[in-house]
Amino acid sequence: MFILAKKLWRTIKTTRGQFLAVTAVVMVGITVYISMGTVSYNMIQSKDQFYRENNFADYYFHVIKAPEGVIKQVEAVPGVSRATGRIQKDVPVIGENNERATARLTSYPLPMNTEVNRLHLLTGRLFEKYPEGGGAEVLLDPQYAAANRLAPGDTVTIVAEGRQVSLTVVGTATAPEFIYPMKDPASLLPEPGNFGIFMMPHNQVQQILNLSGQINQVVIKLSPGADEKNVAKQIDGILEPYGRLASYPRKQQLSDTVMSGEMDQLRIMSRFLPSIFLIIAALIEFVMLGRLVKSQRSQIGTMKAMGYNNFQIMWHYTSYAVLVGLLGALLGSLAGVLLASSLSNLYAYFFNLPQVVSGISGQALLYGFALSLSVGAVAGLTASRGVLAVQPAESMQPEAPRGAGKIFLESWAWFWRRLDTTWKMGLRTIIRNRIRSAITLLGVIFATSMLIVAFFYQDTVDVMIAEFFTQKYDYFVRFTEPVRETDLLGITRLNGVTEAEPVFEVPVKIHFAGRSQEELLVGLPADTTMQKLTSKTGTPLRLPDTGLLISSSTARKLQVLVGDIVEVETLLPLGPTHRSTVKVMGINQQFIGGMSYLTLEEANRIMQENQLISGAMLKVDLGQTSLVEAKLNDMTGVSSILSRLAEMEGFTSQLDYMYVFIAIMVAFAMLLGFAIVYNASVISFAERKRELAALRVMGFTIQEVSGLLLKENLLQTLLGVALGLPFGRFLAEYYIQAMMSTSDVYSTYTFRVVIYPMTYVLSALGGILFIMAAYQLAVRGIKTLDLVEVLKTRD
Amino acid sequence: MGEVTVEALKETSLDIFEGELLVILGPSGSGKSTLLNIMGGMDLPSSGDVFFGEENLSKASESRLTHYRRSAVGFVFQFYNLIPDLTARENVELAANLVDNPLPTTEVLQEVGMESRMDHFPAQLSGGEQQRVSIARAVGKNPRLLLCDEPTGSLDSQTGRLILAMLLHVSKEHGSTVVIVTHNAAIGAMAQRVLRMSSGRIIEIIENETPLPPERVEW
Repeated sequence: MFILAKKLWRTIKTTRGQFLAVTAVVMVGITVYISMGTVSYNMIQSKDQFYRENNFADYYFHVIKAPEGVIKQVEAVPGVSRATGRIQKDVPVIGENNERATARLTSYPLPMNTEVNRLHLLTGRLFEKYPEGGGAEVLLDPQYAAANRLAPGDTVTIVAEGRQVSLTVVGTATAPEFIYPMKDPASLLPEPGNFGIFMMPHNQVQQILNLSGQINQVVIKLSPGADEKNVAKQIDGILEPYGRLASYPRKQQLSDTVMSGEMDQLRIMSRFLPSIFLIIAALIEFVMLGRLVKSQRSQIGTMKAMGYNNFQIMWHYTSYAVLVGLLGALLGSLAGVLLASSLSNLYAYFFNLPQVVSGISGQALLYGFALSLSVGAVAGLTASRGVLAVQPAESMQPEAPRGAGKIFLESWAWFWRRLDTTWKMGLRTIIRNRIRSAITLLGVIFATSMLIVAFFYQDTVDVMIAEFFTQKYDYFVRFTEPVRETDLLGITRLNGVTEAEPVFEVPVKIHFAGRSQEELLVGLPADTTMQKLTSKTGTPLRLPDTGLLISSSTARKLQVLVGDIVEVETLLPLGPTHRSTVKVMGINQQFIGGMSYLTLEEANRIMQENQLISGAMLKVDLGQTSLVEAKLNDMTGVSSILSRLAEMEGFTSQLDYMYVFIAIMVAFAMLLGFAIVYNASVISFAERKRELAALRVMGFTIQEVSGLLLKENLLQTLLGVALGLPFGRFLAEYYIQAMMSTSDVYSTYTFRVVIYPMTYVLSALGGILFIMAAYQLAVRGIKTLDLVEVLKTRD
Repeated sequence: MGEVTVEALKETSLDIFEGELLVILGPSGSGKSTLLNIMGGMDLPSSGDVFFGEENLSKASESRLTHYRRSAVGFVFQFYNLIPDLTARENVELAANLVDNPLPTTEVLQEVGMESRMDHFPAQLSGGEQQRVSIARAVGKNPRLLLCDEPTGSLDSQTGRLILAMLLHVSKEHGSTVVIVTHNAAIGAMAQRVLRMSSGRIIEIIENETPLPPERVEW
């Protein structure tokens, strides 16, 4: 077997370009598998550890307010291992320049020892129950502190119960429920500048909010094996008299939802991407080895004649692929492990996980090697099965020229007759070498479609942003509590405000056919000019006099159709809940946010009120924005002021990571397309050396022979690009669908796949360019083709 | 493993006359193929000169050599080297398209007796038929020099004789010079001159006053 090993080594040396190209594909596949697999594993470990250490609640219960004593009752429910009562409330923050933000005030009973939902101190020190010298201390979430440049010792001012309260910052902290500090599902991304978590001692929050002896949230840990639903039902019963608002399990908690969604995506990607690479590597190996076996037919015959058995010979060829797998797995594991540690830190940062378990997943390594080697072995054995058919005596004869007979195109005589001989040659070659042409085509299709997938995201987000901007208002102002429509005059009369439209926002739960979904209803004037409502097809929608324009994401989740009647249950933190029915008059598609629209009158009917509004949309003279902002900030009844411009800037700045994603995808597309086209071209070139040499001897110039090959390659490339563009669009749609269905967070946005014509052009050009480059590299040997040598021997 | 320099051809001097049929004989490794390759503009001698008419081929550039092969030379190979993806007719056309005054494709194919199989692909033809197409392809360019490397090497003797007859026939018809390289001494009988080679040297040039018609050559 030593001699065969030597032969294998020489084969690898002569085909080193191809060997390296396939190895690179395998390597990238394994790198992605190991790194993402490890990161995914590390993140889940880190998350679980963090959740465990800080006693993350299993179930949440929100009430309007309840006496603290109720906790004892909740803890008495069988299946509850621990219950903690606390207060959580959103209050306005007033910044240095009077600008508004929202603080989610969250209270913590001291000492925290065994309480549910403990916090994890990051910097500074824990707040004190009764600080020396009075006042109150607060811990901030690190993003808010960083975005607002707050350090221990600084003070922040909140507005609570109509009073301004100063709090002293003592440090930063996080908690399992705040890993992803988003205000509500309607926010696209965390906005650390405008929204922060303010953690304070329970007694201080009670005092500030005039809620002595009261709580408004109960969070529980379940005993092992407890029936979650049954327990929740019993607690709901206990809390019913206190104005129950909502109850939900941990997996519906916003931060955990985002976290799980991201981890799901990571896990899907860590399987999906490597599979593609390994499949393509297998295809290339298959074609390469198939060709090797074919070209060494007489050698195989000789070996058989000498007494080597089928298995030994097949193993000899298979070891080529197995070596590719081994080398790919080795290099890939190395790169994967290196990448994993930096990726883990990056992801930990992205997820705000304070501590990372950064282990090397032995399992991922093992699977990586097993996968890579078995793919090689399967490809090798399949490709070398041709060895079985070789008869020693027959194999010594030169093989008959390949392929005969007409190809289907020739039946179109009018077309075929017009073709130049070289075109006929190219077309026949492509069609007769079906498998190889198909694989080349596949490579081109794949590379082109990956380019589309890489670029489309940008187009889609671009359109999203553009549409976001077409909303006609400049500011969205929310009041601390609903006011009469006539009270709006105070704002309308402000200098610089050119127009104002009232808004009545009603948080509700929509019930339909046994399903339910939380939603924000937005009441607008019937003839609104500041909010653009569009249907799924992009046509403008008019607000119906009665009934609801439901958001497409909610319609999808509830499986509601136009004409259905749904029940809405109001979810205001104060006052009784109201239930009423409303007819769905249309489906409104917006990129961002789960919002449904109706007239102000309808919103008031649902609230059983009259002429109430909760905020306003303003158009402002562009020269006077800062003036208007300052005046609005001075108004006491105003809880938040959203500037469209600032919001957009925040949004776009968060999308930087998108470019990293695009760059990686483009690199992958390039590598795959390159490897496939390079290998197919090398094989095709090797097989046709005699033919090309014969042409050169006949007097064809190098340019003419290259031109001939180019025609062939162009035919395949152009066809591949033409098919790759629509396939890319299909993949983009699929990607968006998968993203929206795997993650609850993304499902609140409605992404519409938008691909600009220019993106198609760029993808096509990009595809053609680098495919040509791979091709040129493969056939560079044409210049040094040894005419004499090639024609003399019969391989 | 270092490169080993092999001297294939030494101190060789030879004139070939227009319109003659020259057979170069010699065992494997005698340098006969190298000589043919140099004549055909596929190889350059490391020293010495090669003239085609007035032109010194040993000093010619690669593009000049290509032009020489294109316009002046027709090749017939031992393994035919037809393009598998082209029919007999298309193989001939492909070569004919390279020159300004080619012979009509159909006519040349008729001359080699392939008129009824013009639309067949190489894979559908026997070895002898493939070689006939290969001759038509070489002749179709109307070259002044027809170079044949073991043209009967892969054929049985009967088919071989037929091929030789055709070579002789077409070269006479179109007045081209024919050089045949072979290890088969019997073929020498049909030539006007026979060159015997051994170990890279010409050892003998035999003038043949009465060449035999190929049909009567026996081996």
